[in-house]
Amino acid sequence: MLLEVRDLHVEFHTRDGVARAVNGVSYGVDAGETLAVLGESGSGKSVTAQAIMGILDIPPGRITGGEVVFQGRDLLKLREDERRRIRGAEMAMIFQDALSSLNPVLTVGDQLGEMFTVHRGMSRKEARARAIELMDRVRIPAARERVRQYPHQFSGGMRQRIMIAMALALEPALIIADEPTTALDVTVQAQVMELLAELQREYHMGLILITHDLGVVADVADRIAVMYAGRIVESAPVHDIYKAPAHPYTRGLLDSIPRLDQKGQELYAIRGLPPNLMNIPPGCAFHPRCPLARDVCRSDEPPLYEVSPTRGSACHFWRECLDE
Amino acid sequence: MPDGRHEPEQAIAGTGMGGTMDLGVDEAETLEKRPGPDGTGPGDRPRSLWSDAWRDLRRDPVFIVSALVILFLVLISLWPSAITSGSPLTCDLSKAQQGSQSGHPFGFDGQGCDVYTRTVYGARTSVAVGVLATLGVSVLGSVLGALAGYFGGVWDSVLSRITDVFFAIPVVLGGLVLLSVITSNTIWPVIGFIVLLGWPQLSRIARGSVITAKQNDYVQAARALGASHSRLVLRHIAPNAVAPVIVVATIALGTYISLEATLSYLGVGLKPPSVSWGIDISAASPYIRNAPHALLWPSGALALTVLAFIMLGDAVRDALDPKLR
Amino acid sequence: MSEPILEVEGLVKHYPLTRGVVFRKQVGAVRAVDGVDFHLGRGETLGIVGESGCGKSTVAKTLVNLERPTAGSIRYKGEDITRLSGKALKSVRRNIQMVFQDPYTSLNPRMTVGDIIGEPYDIHPEVAPKGDRRRKVQDLLDVVGLNPEYINRYPHQFSGGQRQRIGIARGLALRPEIIVADEPVSALDVSVQAQVINLMDRLQSEFDLAYIFIAHDLSIVRHISDRVAVMYLGRIVETGRDAEIYDHPTHPYTQALLSAVPVPDPEAREHRERIILSGDVPSPTNIPSGCRFRTRCWKAQERCALEVPALAVPAWFEAAGGPAAHDSACHFAATVPIRRSAPGQVVPPEERPGGTV
Repeated sequence: MLLEVRDLHVEFHTRDGVARAVNGVSYGVDAGETLAVLGESGSGKSVTAQAIMGILDIPPGRITGGEVVFQGRDLLKLREDERRRIRGAEMAMIFQDALSSLNPVLTVGDQLGEMFTVHRGMSRKEARARAIELMDRVRIPAARERVRQYPHQFSGGMRQRIMIAMALALEPALIIADEPTTALDVTVQAQVMELLAELQREYHMGLILITHDLGVVADVADRIAVMYAGRIVESAPVHDIYKAPAHPYTRGLLDSIPRLDQKGQELYAIRGLPPNLMNIPPGCAFHPRCPLARDVCRSDEPPLYEVSPTRGSACHFWRECLDE
Repeated sequence: MPDGRHEPEQAIAGTGMGGTMDLGVDEAETLEKRPGPDGTGPGDRPRSLWSDAWRDLRRDPVFIVSALVILFLVLISLWPSAITSGSPLTCDLSKAQQGSQSGHPFGFDGQGCDVYTRTVYGARTSVAVGVLATLGVSVLGSVLGALAGYFGGVWDSVLSRITDVFFAIPVVLGGLVLLSVITSNTIWPVIGFIVLLGWPQLSRIARGSVITAKQNDYVQAARALGASHSRLVLRHIAPNAVAPVIVVATIALGTYISLEATLSYLGVGLKPPSVSWGIDISAASPYIRNAPHALLWPSGALALTVLAFIMLGDAVRDALDPKLR
Repeated sequence: MSEPILEVEGLVKHYPLTRGVVFRKQVGAVRAVDGVDFHLGRGETLGIVGESGCGKSTVAKTLVNLERPTAGSIRYKGEDITRLSGKALKSVRRNIQMVFQDPYTSLNPRMTVGDIIGEPYDIHPEVAPKGDRRRKVQDLLDVVGLNPEYINRYPHQFSGGQRQRIGIARGLALRPEIIVADEPVSALDVSVQAQVINLMDRLQSEFDLAYIFIAHDLSIVRHISDRVAVMYLGRIVETGRDAEIYDHPTHPYTQALLSAVPVPDPEAREHRERIILSGDVPSPTNIPSGCRFRTRCWKAQERCALEVPALAVPAWFEAAGGPAAHDSACHFAATVPIRRSAPGQVVPPEERPGGTV
């Protein structure tokens, strides 16, 4: 395993109380593999990623348990300066909002080149050449001229390409992409996802793709981890999940996609609201919204049951869910 | 920045916290219509943002300390005789520059007046100038600023240019020139001068926050319903734009008090026999070596007052816009 | 089809670009909406899809009179509402209401839910007598699936989905005939989106509403719409019944848009072909001559730069009839074989674009 997260716990201390954002998340990703982490807002999918990258705001955040093992080392035990060396060079992150992730007063060439001058000790001239090379790689037309432009002079899709170029600069072993295409238009989204998938294959990187979009997941992921209320509720190879989900939450998400044969009928809707992280329901966090819920769900928190050697579901009644 | 700014859901996802989470109410078509959600709700008592702010303020030590200081100042400026029996104008030259003694804790100034009594009576001038000037500035500034921000266009351009002109006037120099021609020895010319030079600052703030509030969808929603201008401004824009104005006005109140002292020190604000901290500081400064106490007490009172208002403004800002913290 | 209650013709909205502070000089214009025609029948849903900047939100704003169009007419029951003002405008407004995208900024944080939903009655007092209002507001809360006892709460005490219900209740208060919904679910979580769509569906039949439903999510638009209009750079490029557009698109842009939508079915990815458009949408200040899509179109020829294609049924389809015979603004409109992979989804035309990225 390139990266393995084990039983990670993260809390946020706010003036209204403690929000338990991540409650025992475990997942792993191999080199060359794409793991999609699927979840809604507040599911803890981004917080987990921030904890892996070491960019969680502490305080109010606090990692209260778990390990993040990357290439054999537990990152959570490293000193800040050691982590900084890993960040960017060995694991990199792509954010949703490329405009606010790029420095508006520096040219994109300077920002790309910085990766090489800081981490690789290259001269400015060399770095500039490498920046142009990278921009070519992510297929930004007229890279040689545009390297001198500022982020705001690029369109949303082009900015996201620049973010990808920055992430790729030092050829990291792992890339975490947090909703990389959510802010983009559909036609541009397709371009960017295609590029990302292609570069991943080429560099044989591990990719953690954080998203709420079931369509994007089906397009690129090898494995899926579905998160709800700070836990993984289902983890499986991508084909298995879409064929037959083993958790009622996953089933609900898939069923609420509008279907042609349902036109004019009511859409399936998961009832209720995502839980309050200050006050997560006891037992299975999903039970207030679950059609399969029984008494045991209200009292006992389900472990991640093994559905098959490659597949797990945190539902007491996963068999029933599969059969449905 | 107006508070209550919208926070996209994504940001909430990013931090794992957010305003939406304080409700765990079941919603869906199958909504169970019960008054209190099962212990996960925010309680049944409706909370407005103002009452939230007030709840925060009551717990904020900065607010409590500054509010107590200001309350005390207001009380002694209304009833100075409650804590002093003397008159600020009865002076005894034979006691000039004497230090602290029984019944006269702050000692005497160069004219032999009781520093304690004069410092207490000086609060009245400062508070009156501060409060009245701030009122004038706020009313004039926010009305003009709000109109410019709301209607935009020519109104806005004209007002912006006028405020630019006023910003170019150096305050102290302007005071020396304008006030020196006025002979009336009351607080009114000083207040008038502060309002004249102060309103552009408030109008800029009001204009900015009205423009921000105006762009909110709820204003558009009300417009789409056919709401009148007065309804839009009074019901939708003003309540959401007023917070920054209050904050800036509170902080400005402190600076107006010090401006009054400065003008009086320079001899163009209030003049003796009026009582003002500025006059006292001015009068005491020649004797700074022999009678530092005569300078110290009014200066200290002035500094404390200004600080109290600035701290109050900060506390109010924090309470109204927790996201700025 | 029922008789149209809304007819839009030649709708244009340009925002002038000016330079200079005191002496403003117009140096150009953002052509946000640049000649749009459509109609809406009673109780019907027209979906408008398009990418950001295509002008769909500006269309919505002109419909509810938040923006005055630069040119063109919007006729509600035969009366051009763009020329109205005062009392007449106010009474038309009662009948065309709007639901906004962002449930966080569309509710005034200083007002209680009761005040927000009751505000339409304050502005139009003739609709409900004063004593009746509280009950009416509670009824509305009930209709949109919220607890009527929440009437005294403030918006920040509700979640996104609940706020959107409040916004819908406000839109319903005056019993309008038309509701313009601008991306009403795109700010909501996936699991809550379906709830709100269902609510809108139910309200439509209950109150005989006509919807203009604007969104970028093609599958949701298909689910709720009777007819669909596809916008690109300020114009409608293709319009027709939902099945005509989704299963038999004839405009290259629509085809590319549909093929780009990620399909929630991993089996589809091996055999799907995508039309990946090159480049970005041109700026609305500088619209290409002729067909505005030609700069990204793999079919573009000289004629496309010279001649603006009209939005009409292409002659070669008109004779044949069938689902391909719907309005399409392309000189070379053609159907492409569509393979359906997942229910409600469309996978890709076989025709390959020339310039992939």
